Amino acid sequence: MEGKNFLELKKIAVEFSGFQAVSDLDLDVAKGELRCLIGPNGAGKTTALDVICGKVKPKAGQITLNGQDITRLPEYRIARRGVGRKFQVPSFFRELSVRDNLEVAYCKRLGVFSNVVRFRRGAETDGLEKLAELVGLQDFLDQPAGFLSHGQTQWLEIALLLAQNSELILMDEPTAGMTSQETMHTAKIFNALKGRHTLVVVEHDMAFVREISDIITVMHQGKVLAEGRAADIQSDPQVMEAYLGSGGILHA
Amino acid sequence: MSVIIPQLSVGLSIASILLIVALGLAIIYGTMGVINLAHGEFVMLGAYAVWFLQTYLGIGLIACLLLVFAFVGGVGWLVERLLIRHLYKRPLDTILATWGVGVILQQTIRLSVGPELRYVKMPDFLTSSVHFFGYEESAYRIFIFVLAVALVLITYFLFFRTEFGLRLRAVTQNPEIARCFGINAGLTYSLTFAYGAGLAGIAGSLVSPLKSVSPDMGTPYVVDAFLVVVVGGVQSLLGTVASSYLIGQVSGVLAFISNDTMAKALVFFGVVVLIRLFPRGLFAMRVRRS
Amino acid sequence: MNSNRQAILRIIGYSIFCAAILAVPLFVDDAYLLNKFARYLVFGILSLALSLSWGYAGILNLGQAVSFGLGSYCMAMALKLRTIPIQTGAGGLPDFMVWNNVKTLPWFWQPFHSYTFAIFAGIAVPTVVAFLLGWFVFRARVNGVYIAIITLAMLVVINLVIIDQQSYTGGFNGITDLTTLTLFGIAFDAYSTATYYLAAITLSLCLFLGLAFVNSKTGLILQAIRDDETRVWYFGYDVAAYQNFIFCVSAAIAGFAGMLYTLVMEFASPTFLGVPISLSIVIWCAVGGRSSLVGSALGAIVVTGVQGSLSETPAFLDIWMLIMGALFIFVVLFLPNGIISLVDVIARSRARHSRDTAAEPIQAAKRSEAISRQSVSR
Repeated sequence: MEGKNFLELKKIAVEFSGFQAVSDLDLDVAKGELRCLIGPNGAGKTTALDVICGKVKPKAGQITLNGQDITRLPEYRIARRGVGRKFQVPSFFRELSVRDNLEVAYCKRLGVFSNVVRFRRGAETDGLEKLAELVGLQDFLDQPAGFLSHGQTQWLEIALLLAQNSELILMDEPTAGMTSQETMHTAKIFNALKGRHTLVVVEHDMAFVREISDIITVMHQGKVLAEGRAADIQSDPQVMEAYLGSGGILHA
Repeated sequence: MSVIIPQLSVGLSIASILLIVALGLAIIYGTMGVINLAHGEFVMLGAYAVWFLQTYLGIGLIACLLLVFAFVGGVGWLVERLLIRHLYKRPLDTILATWGVGVILQQTIRLSVGPELRYVKMPDFLTSSVHFFGYEESAYRIFIFVLAVALVLITYFLFFRTEFGLRLRAVTQNPEIARCFGINAGLTYSLTFAYGAGLAGIAGSLVSPLKSVSPDMGTPYVVDAFLVVVVGGVQSLLGTVASSYLIGQVSGVLAFISNDTMAKALVFFGVVVLIRLFPRGLFAMRVRRS
Repeated sequence: MNSNRQAILRIIGYSIFCAAILAVPLFVDDAYLLNKFARYLVFGILSLALSLSWGYAGILNLGQAVSFGLGSYCMAMALKLRTIPIQTGAGGLPDFMVWNNVKTLPWFWQPFHSYTFAIFAGIAVPTVVAFLLGWFVFRARVNGVYIAIITLAMLVVINLVIIDQQSYTGGFNGITDLTTLTLFGIAFDAYSTATYYLAAITLSLCLFLGLAFVNSKTGLILQAIRDDETRVWYFGYDVAAYQNFIFCVSAAIAGFAGMLYTLVMEFASPTFLGVPISLSIVIWCAVGGRSSLVGSALGAIVVTGVQGSLSETPAFLDIWMLIMGALFIFVVLFLPNGIISLVDVIARSRARHSRDTAAEPIQAAKRSEAISRQSVSR
């Protein structure tokens, strides 16, 4: 899909107490695209997502979303501009029920006062139940989220992202710990999101990546190493070297 | 000028006491994530211990110091073993539990020794004044300052140059992995807590001749010490030292200009504003948090 | 649906509680006793206020007594200015000001000639103080532990300032010798049923309004903030605004409770702003159940009730504080959700037991183990 670049990162540099996590990162993602970020551990992939969603502020560089500069905005303002993020570590609300978790994500009005007069289990219930069905949690709606198994919590987090319904969705290792069946189900969900949503996915599972992505960006030591379709990057000699010459990983 | 120097030195000794108290609190919080609200009561215990030793056994202040360190450290050891170790996963609850311990300690003293004020004598050889660059300075205050510096150096040495310190830092970063390497995390925690408590006890001993000893003397110390840690930044020895002297001096000067109470109020407002500008303290490290 | 049934049971429970406290004057004639009960109810309101910010939003306000004390002083100032001239000094100045050689009434005392202003101030002043502190502290995104200590520090500071500024505040002794509040033709004497009803109605209102509030979207988001504050930002919510909101609501309720307390005690004192009472509030809330409005109120009422029925002598008070300290530690270690959580655990395992006797005993066992780890939100 070509179009004016929806998400642009220009010369992003991120530093942690002297350690250069990301340097000179350029990334252009078109609207409706599904971009995968892959690379060895420590390549800076998660940091790239952190910078986009506002978790981490870059030392240098600029991030543009839909033509607007979001580099210095606090994370909740970035979220309001239509960015949703799934984190590597489990981040959901353990003591709240699954339904309540989804309600928090689903909420359209975000202000304190407008929410005082709105009650839970409002008209949105239908949408939430459909969402729960999509990820297989419809029987657990009234259970506290802390009761769920690890696999189920992964699904919950994906459902939270879907409920948030952001234009730009950032996913950090969504299939970690999933079976191949679950991975394929996730791929189906992601492919269905393409077009209406723009996705940037950090992943290690190459079969999954090949299944869903249009363009793949390979990162290494905080920079972009290669970018292109699956076939192109698989035959790229620099990429193969970065993965320690083991063509095995790319052919997983 | 003749007013400023004595004022600065009063501030210096306030700051030194604050530093010793804050050091103990910072060590406990920095390594174990435990806010010890009983820390003020450890200071109080130190003061009472000196009073007891002096009044009933005739031991002088200086000689008491090591005994007091051992005694209050021992109390700290017990508190950690019996209570704190069950609450490592619940930081807000450790505040409550330690507050409860503080109450118990305070009430125990109040019911056994009595609520009246007690007095401790300054060691005779330190009551005189010393001539310092043309100004008269209380020898005792200089002694406090010197001792504070010594304790900081000892702590630095202990934590960064010994094997115990290395183990402690490992356990602080990642207790599970440290255990896999055979480090006894539990023992490390107990010793650290005891060390922090012992420091508080020493602070209490040092302050006892300057102010009267009462069961509730401890609370202001824990609050002030925590403000020091908040401003200085957690896990930063330099931060604790710098912020103790900053806050101590500012308090001293403000107290001179108006009075003690207003000084406290202004320092508090200052800290709140400072936190807003530097939420991680003045000397914090930036790490990638997952 | 299970949760609807739960909601109905909850409303019934709250109603029974409110009916009970409102019915007390029908059975109790002794004015002295009624006054004591009114005191306990005021503590209940105070504990409820803390439970809103602590149990539901995870904000441990160790200085709740600040709001309480400021509210009580506002009411005391208004009453002091209306105390008949014999007790007030020359020129309409409160006696302690005369003793401190104050010449004219300070500007911030002037508006308290009006009851309307005083009642407004009793709620507004704590709220504004909370808002200002909250603006600094929540925006800075410091963690919960820091907030606990900073609120404690504020308490210590304000307590010292009030004692220090004795010409304006009555210092150590507080503001004593107060007239009776008379509003809308009712005299709210400390020992009257009117005052008792005022306290009981306030507590009942707070319970039901509070219940409605925690079931609103805002209440839900605050509970999410309690569970994982960082995550909530990424959904686009301004978490600091939510935290400050509940912090201020809690302060406002505590301020109103403070005003009631002045009526009940007939004086205002710096001890209302002291560390011991602030500690007590936390203990009541923890023992009763921090995540339950009625639980926290009950915690306060039961604990102070037992204390009051045993003794009021200072010597006993010291022993009582010792027991309280130990009880506090016990609750923190073994019953983090308070005594009310026991009720819930029993109710739930009864419900589960009847459903599980047929199938899947292993699942049932796992669930009941998880239940006892789960917190209760009421």
